[in-house]
Amino acid sequence: MYVEFLAVPRRLTGTSQVEVQAESLGQLLTTLAAQFPSLGQFITLDRLDPAFIASLNGDQFVSDPRTVLGENDHVLILSADAGG
Amino acid sequence: MPFGYHGSYLRIDLSSGAAERVPLADTVLRQFIGGSGLGVKLLLDEGAALLDPLSPAAPLVFAFSPLVGSPLTTSAKFAVVSKSPLTERINDSLASSGFAIAGKGCGCDAMMIVGRAPEFSVLIVDETGVRLESATEYRGATCGATEGGLKARLGAHYRVASIGPAAENNVRYSTISHDGRHAGRGGSGAVLGAKNIKAIAISGTQRTDWAHPGELTALSKALSKKSFGPATAKYRELGTATNLLTFNRFGTLPTRNFQSGTFEEAVNLSPEQLGAVRSKTRKSCMACTIGCEHIYSNGDSSVRVEYESLFALGSLCGIGDADAVLRASQRCDELGIDTISTGGTIAFAMECVERGWLDEPWLKFGSSAALLRAIEMIGAREGLGNLLAEGSRRAALAIGHNSIAIAPQVKGLEIPGYEPRALQTMALGFAVGARGADHNRSGAYEVDFSDKVDRRHVTLDAVRHAIETEDKAALMDSLIVCKFLRGVFEDFHAETAEMLHYVTGWDVTADELRQTARRIVAAKRQFNLLAGWTQTEDTLPERFLNTPLSSDPEAVLSHQRLDELVTEYHRQRGW
Repeated sequence: MYVEFLAVPRRLTGTSQVEVQAESLGQLLTTLAAQFPSLGQFITLDRLDPAFIASLNGDQFVSDPRTVLGENDHVLILSADAGG
Repeated sequence: MPFGYHGSYLRIDLSSGAAERVPLADTVLRQFIGGSGLGVKLLLDEGAALLDPLSPAAPLVFAFSPLVGSPLTTSAKFAVVSKSPLTERINDSLASSGFAIAGKGCGCDAMMIVGRAPEFSVLIVDETGVRLESATEYRGATCGATEGGLKARLGAHYRVASIGPAAENNVRYSTISHDGRHAGRGGSGAVLGAKNIKAIAISGTQRTDWAHPGELTALSKALSKKSFGPATAKYRELGTATNLLTFNRFGTLPTRNFQSGTFEEAVNLSPEQLGAVRSKTRKSCMACTIGCEHIYSNGDSSVRVEYESLFALGSLCGIGDADAVLRASQRCDELGIDTISTGGTIAFAMECVERGWLDEPWLKFGSSAALLRAIEMIGAREGLGNLLAEGSRRAALAIGHNSIAIAPQVKGLEIPGYEPRALQTMALGFAVGARGADHNRSGAYEVDFSDKVDRRHVTLDAVRHAIETEDKAALMDSLIVCKFLRGVFEDFHAETAEMLHYVTGWDVTADELRQTARRIVAAKRQFNLLAGWTQTEDTLPERFLNTPLSSDPEAVLSHQRLDELVTEYHRQRGW
């Protein structure tokens, strides 16, 4: 599946998108933490720091690490505070 | 009198030249705290709801707060509160920096200005008292030039809040500017301009004591440390402008007068792209550790870039030319007009031209030249600018063709950069907002960008979340602390109660602050009721109801659903 980074997560990872294999949100975050240590400092075990949030396909925001991910899912990681 | 206060406000009558200190009861201070809350209370007591906001009798309040002057980060803020000439409802706009500290240093918790100066004047408040001096030399000057000129004339220690040429011309969404920031929404600049006042210059050094200075210092240090953390990284590292690509990705970036939620040229305006080709500096308000202001070079000058300005003058007008959008933003700052209302009103007019309702063929979506021309015409109230200076609601009523259905406003205040059909908790927040559609008085978009609701199919459960964000905003605007701090609090009410306790000595609790927030929101509603508000105003323009967003067919908000949300909101408020 593809993971897209927006705002501060994009700055931390230095990329806008990567392809990752994962079956759950928790597994995905653990993989990202290992791949991008700068983002990893804001991932505790399998959860994002409250300053960040994940969206599944741009439709639904998800935080439960047990959230099941499918092969064709697109996960977006962004700053939680989307306002301004 | 509690610590942190002077216990009075300064009432200045420009017509007579009289100034008096009016005592403020401890109970009033505890019930309304300061900032927006105190300002609304003073307006209610003055009977302002029934007055024409541009009449001499109409009061304009600058309200400070118990936290001003404390070491707490972001606390150097003030609220400008009046009846809005744009909406004819309550208006409270906030700005930051040294004016707040100097104003409170004049030995008062608020300044109320009534009457009308006999000549075009500068109002000066300092240790010698209150006086008027001629402002003739500043007629037509930009906010920055006025502020610089007055500091050179009076001394660098004076803090200046001024209006630009637009407010002199009674543009209904003109601002009051200080130190490059603006009390931006709702037209408080026009209220000051109607009083024949170009600027207020103040100097004061009177301080208030804190009830528990040791604990307050420790708390302030801890808060400052937290303000360097991830919760504020977005503001610090990228600024609010980073919303642009995020909102575009989620289909919530208002484009071409809300005809779409995505803009094909959004990347051109993003801070990521702007930063790649322009030099950039950062700036902080006084007493702030976040530093959210990102200032980009644009030719020979520099421009403060905010999301709301980029959206309103960029995607909303279909313009992806970064040079033009930055120039437009800069001109709005110089003229002293609200970028959101400016962009919203121009985008509305562009669509009216597109539909053949307005015979101004030069005013086209995507035309940078048209945008810049329209801004100049608005500032000067020349030609079409005279109509657009009235805001989109009044312009729609003049244009006819039921164009009010596409005028992007609630209660007359233009809608900020959040597509209501795709962010439906925010749609409710906009609909019920006391000052009209506004993201600073309802943070309901936070709920939409969370797992608490399905943002395109919200249920009545969204109502309590919307109320929570509205109450929280009312409290932050009255304490006053910056909303960009909101993510650093683990228990907002408990931590701000502790803050207030250390400053004032009050044995205030989290529950008391929740009640205070509700009281302040209710006071704003009371003002609006007196000004003629009815529940029919708590809605959105027809454009947003029943018709799907063209770029996202799933984003539909039915008239019935919005009505149900609004009714439930009123029920939960007990109104």
